[in-house]
Amino acid sequence: MNGIDIGTGAIRAGTSVLYASLGELIAERAGVVNLGTEGCMLGGALGAFAVTVWSGNPWLGALAGGISGSVLALIHAFLVITRKANALASGLTVMFFAIGLTSFLGRGFVNKQIHGFEPISIPLLSKIPFLGPLLFQHDGLTYLSMLLVPTLWFLLFKTRLGVILRATGEREEVVYTYGFSPKWIRYGAVMAGGFLTGIGGAQLSTAYTHTWVENMTQGKGIVAVALVIFAAWKPARAMLGAYLFGGAQALQLVVQQQGYEISPFLLFMTPYVITLLALFLVARKQRSQMPEGLSKVFNGAGGG
Amino acid sequence: MSILLPVERRMGKPKWEVMLAPALVVLAPLLAFALFLLASGVNPITLYGTMLKSTFGDWYGFGEVVIKATPFILTALAASLPAKAGMINVGGEGQLAIGALAVTAVGVYLLPSVPGWIGVPILVLVGALGGALWASVAAIGKVKGKMNETITTLLLNYIAYFTIGFFVHSLLKDPASFNWPFSKELAGQLRLLTFSSASRVHVGIGIALILAAIVWFLITQTRLGFRIRVVGGNVLAAKRAGLKDTKIQFWVLIAAGAIAGIAGMIEITGIEGRLRPTTGMNYGYLGFLASWMAWNHPLWLIATSFIIGMISVAGNSLEMNSGLPASSVQILMALVLFAILAVGRRKQA
Amino acid sequence: MRKVGRKLALISSSLAFMFTFVACSSSTTSTTSPETTAAPSQAASAAAGTGGKAVGFIFVGAKDDYGYNQAAYIGSQAVEKAFPNLKVLRSENVPETAEAERVMEEMIRNGAKIIFPTSYGHLDPALNVAKRHPDVLFYHQGGLKTAENLGTYFGTIWEPVYLAGIAAGKMSKSGKLGYIVSVPIPQVLLNVNAFEMGAKSVNPSATTTVVFTGSWCDPAQQANAANSMIDQGIDVLSQHQDCTKTVIETAERRGALSVGYHAEASVLAPKGWITSSIWNWSDLYVDMVKTGVEGKFKGSKYDGKYRGQLKDNVVQLTSFGSQVPDDVKKLVDKSKAELVAGTLNPFNGPVKDQKGAVKIEAGAKLELDKLEATDYFVEGVIGSIPK
Repeated sequence: MNGIDIGTGAIRAGTSVLYASLGELIAERAGVVNLGTEGCMLGGALGAFAVTVWSGNPWLGALAGGISGSVLALIHAFLVITRKANALASGLTVMFFAIGLTSFLGRGFVNKQIHGFEPISIPLLSKIPFLGPLLFQHDGLTYLSMLLVPTLWFLLFKTRLGVILRATGEREEVVYTYGFSPKWIRYGAVMAGGFLTGIGGAQLSTAYTHTWVENMTQGKGIVAVALVIFAAWKPARAMLGAYLFGGAQALQLVVQQQGYEISPFLLFMTPYVITLLALFLVARKQRSQMPEGLSKVFNGAGGG
Repeated sequence: MSILLPVERRMGKPKWEVMLAPALVVLAPLLAFALFLLASGVNPITLYGTMLKSTFGDWYGFGEVVIKATPFILTALAASLPAKAGMINVGGEGQLAIGALAVTAVGVYLLPSVPGWIGVPILVLVGALGGALWASVAAIGKVKGKMNETITTLLLNYIAYFTIGFFVHSLLKDPASFNWPFSKELAGQLRLLTFSSASRVHVGIGIALILAAIVWFLITQTRLGFRIRVVGGNVLAAKRAGLKDTKIQFWVLIAAGAIAGIAGMIEITGIEGRLRPTTGMNYGYLGFLASWMAWNHPLWLIATSFIIGMISVAGNSLEMNSGLPASSVQILMALVLFAILAVGRRKQA
Repeated sequence: MRKVGRKLALISSSLAFMFTFVACSSSTTSTTSPETTAAPSQAASAAAGTGGKAVGFIFVGAKDDYGYNQAAYIGSQAVEKAFPNLKVLRSENVPETAEAERVMEEMIRNGAKIIFPTSYGHLDPALNVAKRHPDVLFYHQGGLKTAENLGTYFGTIWEPVYLAGIAAGKMSKSGKLGYIVSVPIPQVLLNVNAFEMGAKSVNPSATTTVVFTGSWCDPAQQANAANSMIDQGIDVLSQHQDCTKTVIETAERRGALSVGYHAEASVLAPKGWITSSIWNWSDLYVDMVKTGVEGKFKGSKYDGKYRGQLKDNVVQLTSFGSQVPDDVKKLVDKSKAELVAGTLNPFNGPVKDQKGAVKIEAGAKLELDKLEATDYFVEGVIGSIPK
């Protein structure tokens, strides 16, 4: 076993989840939980794959993936913000809808080959021992996700836009005093979140696997939602969570290759168990950090 | 579907909306799906006709709808009861699976020669315990760790799936099945009774309907039900009124798990006869949808469970007759649900 | 509201009791499980499989998965072409549960007299339906249990997999081969064993490392596994998955060699393609349907457990990739000739498992049931099967 391999494996397996977590984080900061993340990811994965097939340009594909994610998120935004539907039920419905729709529309793409994103070794940096192979031999979307984390942090905590966004999820009155409508800010946040989540799906289909298969996200969107809580709504911790999940995937594969007598089924569940444990360990103290708008969804009257 | 809308809920809305909403909920998804069918080159009218015929055309078809609806009613109850207490349980999937696992293990290894009239009730309890056990992870997480039950129950579904895989590939594997991942078969007397040899319908539907009636009675007619609804309506108000909201929520979640576990028991003893890696897959999610389609009303959800059962059964004929892939059924279901969510939030029942 | 609710509660509970009552009263006449109740009603006047309007095919996954289901789907297309009077009914993503029974019943209601359940888990449901419908003929893919009107068929895919193992063992520089598989079922374990035996026959120190993904088609997990194995120094990857594209493409992009499965996919790996083991169901399906339609199932070679071999062309090894050297091709062709002639059989004893325990005694004859119930890895395989 080798630390670099597990580390790179963690980044490879975790990047799509990272995008989805960051997307969800934006929406939740504005006070809207979107369980449709799984659906937005699937939409993004198919949209990106299809456009890459047609155009031959993966960047165009990623853009389309983002837009697909946004469109699916828009359904959720409409139901939750305008029609005041229960956010969790609406998110799940978006998830089911997207699973059905993408398997339907995606049939023709299962056999298609694409020229997707390829790993790029960054000159000089990739030669650094340990860090080089770990961080500097990835595809474009992975580098972008690494840059996105500090960017998002800056936007959220150091700009006026960020203040307004966070206020939307905490104290609506403040937003009004700035002269904005919390409603449209929420719409914007949910769609921006859907866009990033869609890019997460795009990373999966056009960068990591170069494949489209129905239901290929296999619960990654749901893990992403869980990781946002783990992350205490902070981008850097979302990154940590995503790589932790990816790392658990990579580690279980390495363990299998050693031939230890452990049932693979116990190994398969470890990433989910670890996510659950991580949630348990941090959830208690994090209540105070939860955007207030969310606690209505998470603790309030969910029944109608 | 219009008759499915409880009268009371129409109050306090403008008149046109009272009239329009139920019609919209029925017609909009069917129309939208018809457009979708037309776009895929399928005649929606003949297709809807075939779907109706395959489900209500003869007793066999209707029997299949009943069999499908049975677990949906139970997993829907497992979503509706917590919803009344302000919680969202998406874990019916995993709770059903663990219930089925417990029933198989006990049924195959402890009760192979126990007469049915003792064995079957024991298995109902075992299934309920299995489901309750799985739900208790989420319940404890909620009470002790303040973890949101939606997220935990969802994650637990994946863990349950791999748990089943673990057991059917090892301890429960049937030696007579040539090393394939199935459990041994349950003894004949432990199987649920069927009504005739022409159909697979079994007494499970009776259990499901009784449980639905019990949950309805509990929620609407008892003091405990009132408390549950108060907790669900407003946690803060419940606290001020001196109700122990966490305790109530804890036990409601456990009860929900038990109901889903019974669904697993029925699936094993009524239909499958043995545990397979994918036994009962998606029943939890579909039941959840059935519950939300019925605004979490424990009796209306019987109707919506039947509708989802019908759509799933008709889905087979849809696929064979139109050449459309199985996924189109999911699209139809999601459209129905969108319409319901768009019509708006309802008053608590 | 209350009134409506009460009424509903009353209706539903009385319905429930009615059901229970009917069930109890009828339980004296009917027995407990559907399998035992459905005795073959009247002696079928016509042979099973004749006089149908349709032929049904049931797939466990998506029919265009570039893999197992697609191979069967292509076979169903050949049936469609050969029998223009028969409608071909298809149902995909049919779970391996009692759910499959309903799909088969629906096919019968749509006029099918011959049904192909193409996945192992469809066997028990098919046996149940076969009991209820003695006039319908079932051809089950891969099963080991049969009935009056249910025959099973399969291909000895381990033969081409063994040959591919020879090529892989020759081509690997590190002697470390990788096999990315779904779940530990006998078909999977048998293939891994055959592959390792093939590799070992040309390179005694060759090892085959196994990774389970837990799913028949999860591209992300396949990519994780492929990358992880290549990181560990494995330079030839094969697989047993339903969808096969991702592993081949990932290996190609990382500069590793590929051995395919289910489908000829050299186009996915112009640099690293070695060869692939594939199914050729078309001629077999057509012949089986013909046998059934003509009422000749009883006593035919399909009445029982039919296994198509390399020599029957039911399983095949595809052509080699461009960079496979001639000496490797020759070596494979020589073993292929021996397999076809019956002079070579890797599973003739002694065969030892990972721990050195003898699994097939020296001189023991090959038994189909035992081979297709494999629950061990042979020596040289690195990996663990849940016990």
